Amino acid sequence: MQPHVVSNVVVLSLVGGGLLALLRLRRSPLWREAGAELVRRRPVALAVVGVFVLLALLDSVRWQGGDAAAAGADAVARFEARSLVDRLFSDDFRERSYSAPLAAEEFYGNAPLRHPGRHVLGTDILGRDVLHLTLKGARVALLVGGFTSLIVIPLALLTGICAGYFGRRVDDAFFFVSSTLASMPGLLLLIALIIVLGRGPVQVCLALGVTSWVGFARVARGETLKLRELDFVHAARALGVSEGRILVRHILPNLAHLVIITFVLLFSGLVLSEATLSWLGIGIDGSWGQMIDQARDELSRDPIVWWNLAAASVALFGLVLSVNLVGDAVRDVLDPRTLRERR
Amino acid sequence: MSGALRYAAALGLAVMAALAGCTNDPYPAADAVEKILYQPFDDPPKTLDPQVAYSVVDHMVIGYVYDTLLGYHYLKRPFTLIPGMAEQVPEGRPVGGGRVAYRFRLRPDLRFQEDPCFSLSGAGARSRQVVADDIAFSLARVGDPAVGSPVLEALGKITGLVAFGKRIEERRKSDPAFAALRIDAQYRAAGPIEGIRVLGEREVEIVLDDAYPQILYWFAMPFTSPVPWEAVATYTGEGGADSFAEHPVGSGPFVLARYDKRSRIVLQRNEQWYGVLHPEWKAPAATYPSEGAPGDAEEGLLDPAYVGRPLPFLSRIELRREKEPIPTFTKFLQGYYDASGVIKESFDRVIQKGDLSPDMRTLGIHLARSVEPAISYLGFNMDDPVVGAKRGDRSRKLRQAMSLAIDSKEFLRLFANGRGIPAQTPLPPGIFGYDAEYANPFRQPDLERAAALLDEAGYPGGIDPSTGRPLHLTFDAGDTGAAALLQFQFYTSAWRRLGLDVEVAATSYNQFQDKVRRGAYQIFTWGWVADYPDPENFLFLLWSPMGRTHGGGPNTANYSNPRYDELFVRMKAMSDGPERLRVIDEMREILQQDRPWIENYYPERYALYHGWVENEKPAGLSLPTAKYLDIDAAERALLRVAWNEPITWPAYALLGLVVVVVAPGIVTFLRERQ
Repeated sequence: MQPHVVSNVVVLSLVGGGLLALLRLRRSPLWREAGAELVRRRPVALAVVGVFVLLALLDSVRWQGGDAAAAGADAVARFEARSLVDRLFSDDFRERSYSAPLAAEEFYGNAPLRHPGRHVLGTDILGRDVLHLTLKGARVALLVGGFTSLIVIPLALLTGICAGYFGRRVDDAFFFVSSTLASMPGLLLLIALIIVLGRGPVQVCLALGVTSWVGFARVARGETLKLRELDFVHAARALGVSEGRILVRHILPNLAHLVIITFVLLFSGLVLSEATLSWLGIGIDGSWGQMIDQARDELSRDPIVWWNLAAASVALFGLVLSVNLVGDAVRDVLDPRTLRERR
Repeated sequence: MSGALRYAAALGLAVMAALAGCTNDPYPAADAVEKILYQPFDDPPKTLDPQVAYSVVDHMVIGYVYDTLLGYHYLKRPFTLIPGMAEQVPEGRPVGGGRVAYRFRLRPDLRFQEDPCFSLSGAGARSRQVVADDIAFSLARVGDPAVGSPVLEALGKITGLVAFGKRIEERRKSDPAFAALRIDAQYRAAGPIEGIRVLGEREVEIVLDDAYPQILYWFAMPFTSPVPWEAVATYTGEGGADSFAEHPVGSGPFVLARYDKRSRIVLQRNEQWYGVLHPEWKAPAATYPSEGAPGDAEEGLLDPAYVGRPLPFLSRIELRREKEPIPTFTKFLQGYYDASGVIKESFDRVIQKGDLSPDMRTLGIHLARSVEPAISYLGFNMDDPVVGAKRGDRSRKLRQAMSLAIDSKEFLRLFANGRGIPAQTPLPPGIFGYDAEYANPFRQPDLERAAALLDEAGYPGGIDPSTGRPLHLTFDAGDTGAAALLQFQFYTSAWRRLGLDVEVAATSYNQFQDKVRRGAYQIFTWGWVADYPDPENFLFLLWSPMGRTHGGGPNTANYSNPRYDELFVRMKAMSDGPERLRVIDEMREILQQDRPWIENYYPERYALYHGWVENEKPAGLSLPTAKYLDIDAAERALLRVAWNEPITWPAYALLGLVVVVVAPGIVTFLRERQ
């Protein structure tokens, strides 16, 4: 099966799953109330995150063929799966080189542009529309944040809970592994892993996953150590409930708030880590980090070429800030203590 | 309270005094009137061993410390050899069996610089004469595997040099007593080298296995510079002694006076140099030339004030380490460096409409443009089943089409500020065989013709009939940086217009080299800078015995064409003339049709010089040309002062601000205490 078909299936199932979950949650008054409270507290941040998610989804739905490509100068594009975002910009929508936002002529040499005044954020050194590149960066950022979290959280939960609950040898093994990983400089480990695994989105996500699960696993272990001594766990054990059931019914749900908080903190951290990796030349193609890296020597040009860097930085900053704000609000809303205060 | 005021007043006076004597001059005041050339360097030299050193910065030092038997004429282009330490440029003389001999006769009274190491050859001796044995010793070092000279490939053509290396290596392994001998004794004991015959105190004959006229160029490079055995024997780097790689002992126009390779390198005029000792000889490499290339007279390069005068004019060369380009350029503008390249960041400020900007001109700066004897090219792996030779005419047309799609002029405009010339053949300007009139029919961007050729190749519209999709190729690159990636995308987007789907496979340089060794690559980009100005040094990059994947040579395209190989061997042994030109033209035709390379561009170097620098002429090759330069130190000193007027008001303003902010606090504090 071709990669874009897989990607479409994944996106559709994600959207379907999300909608289903939303519908189920709406039935529970607790969650409905929490949702309303969240919207009330952080409407702007939520909207920004929503826009980025929507962009990422639109950029993930891809198919071959279609109208715009046929007319374009790029003969290969016709055979490539192009996303909805790509289809907003025709292949011909490019210049020969740099042009400032909304400019009518080239930045160097003053030759007239093919599309004067239509490049809202200007064009880069190869004449590509910066707005287009920036919008496409959203998908990469969410892929890095989302996919890596999908690796990190289950891994950290599994190891952390087992270590905390079973103790002894399991705990020793967990501590050995996690201390070893934590004692290596994170960036060096990342670089080494990427050299071993090769470059590419999945490899970068895996490498980021390996280097960032330890922190959350330790938190999960600590929380489990506390939970397993609580009365209801003792009671369950006295009643002869199996270990697996205790873990799933009593321990795991009590870690749910930690999962959400970790997810949010991790997400923004990962997006930023990817930018660092791109800056070192081992990131993912098309990410905002790469755009910033490419803009490195544009800043020292005279006159300065600022729009590439500005577009990527603002997008990165906007996403990370609003995810953090939303995360903060989610924690507050779900915390029983603040719930009581609200009432 | 009065005490506090007194302190404040004293502080203020001290600051004002400091500001009055304040200067940003990084050099001692006494040096201002001396003829000193100031130059920046970036990475420190790796080694100063003349038989080993290969990089530009190494040669920046060694080129002055070690003199060569031959040299290049300072002004003439194409480059012409002139005698250096040798009395004349020798002619090859066939000696039977296809062998060719060259006889060098050294000038009399050549002396090594003063150094304590010469006490080995006579108690208390500080220096000695340069003799033919020193040449033999240096060449033996090139053959010695323990030295690790990178040029054995070329100089191995000297009869018996490679065998000598094997012999000495074996004896060192099998006989510890031999290995413990002093280096000159080892070389003597290992037996003579057949092709190096010392015929007298001042005469040496070099015999080559087969005709290789380019050998003479190697005698204009430090690899063959005479080295005193005493220095190699003394500076072993063991037991507290200096290493020979850090302690050069030569016979050149300058001596190394100071070597802090991470910060400062100083070269002082060598009073023992033959040009200084014997100006009456008017030796070509120690006298300012009286004739030059066309246009040199107009440039003021044949100023009667200099013609015929003995070299060098400078008393010292100061090299300072500069890691960042922007501060380096600022120091140049302040007058603290005498020459500079044009950095990308300030390009538009310095160069306008292809010439110096008015700002720069008012500073008295002048611009020297020179095309380097170098080429940057895109290559195809000719062993590859799709783009390579196996598909015959079909892949040839594919390569021709891809060649037609690359617009080198646009590339240079985007990535090099237009500095460079779109290349037509592997031979850059300044090299025999370069023809400015020649336009390669496959190097003139023409998408329509390219599309027609793709059609003929069986890829109509770029579609590979076996898959029904655009032909998929990979561009293998050894650089993952974002700046390089943009350049690769420039190429791939040009090919995409033809309908070819070329993917950039960027890996680290090591992984790329590994791919090259395994032959697992399709399209690549590479460059070559001439070792010496002969067409052989470029055309051998496509000679099949130099094949990369099979032989580890520099023919990364793995190009193999029997006719080309035959012509190459013929061309190699010829001396410049119409006959050679005809052979080169036929080779050019072959490459034009076969397209193992897409010749991309010849880089162009823009150099800026201050008005007080006289006689500058950029060479492209990394040649030690500073001995021809002169400095008007008085003018420089005046302009430096004028350009670096300290701006003191911010300091006073800051001081005033501090007083305004702090004084009330002190007053309050004192009042409270009372």
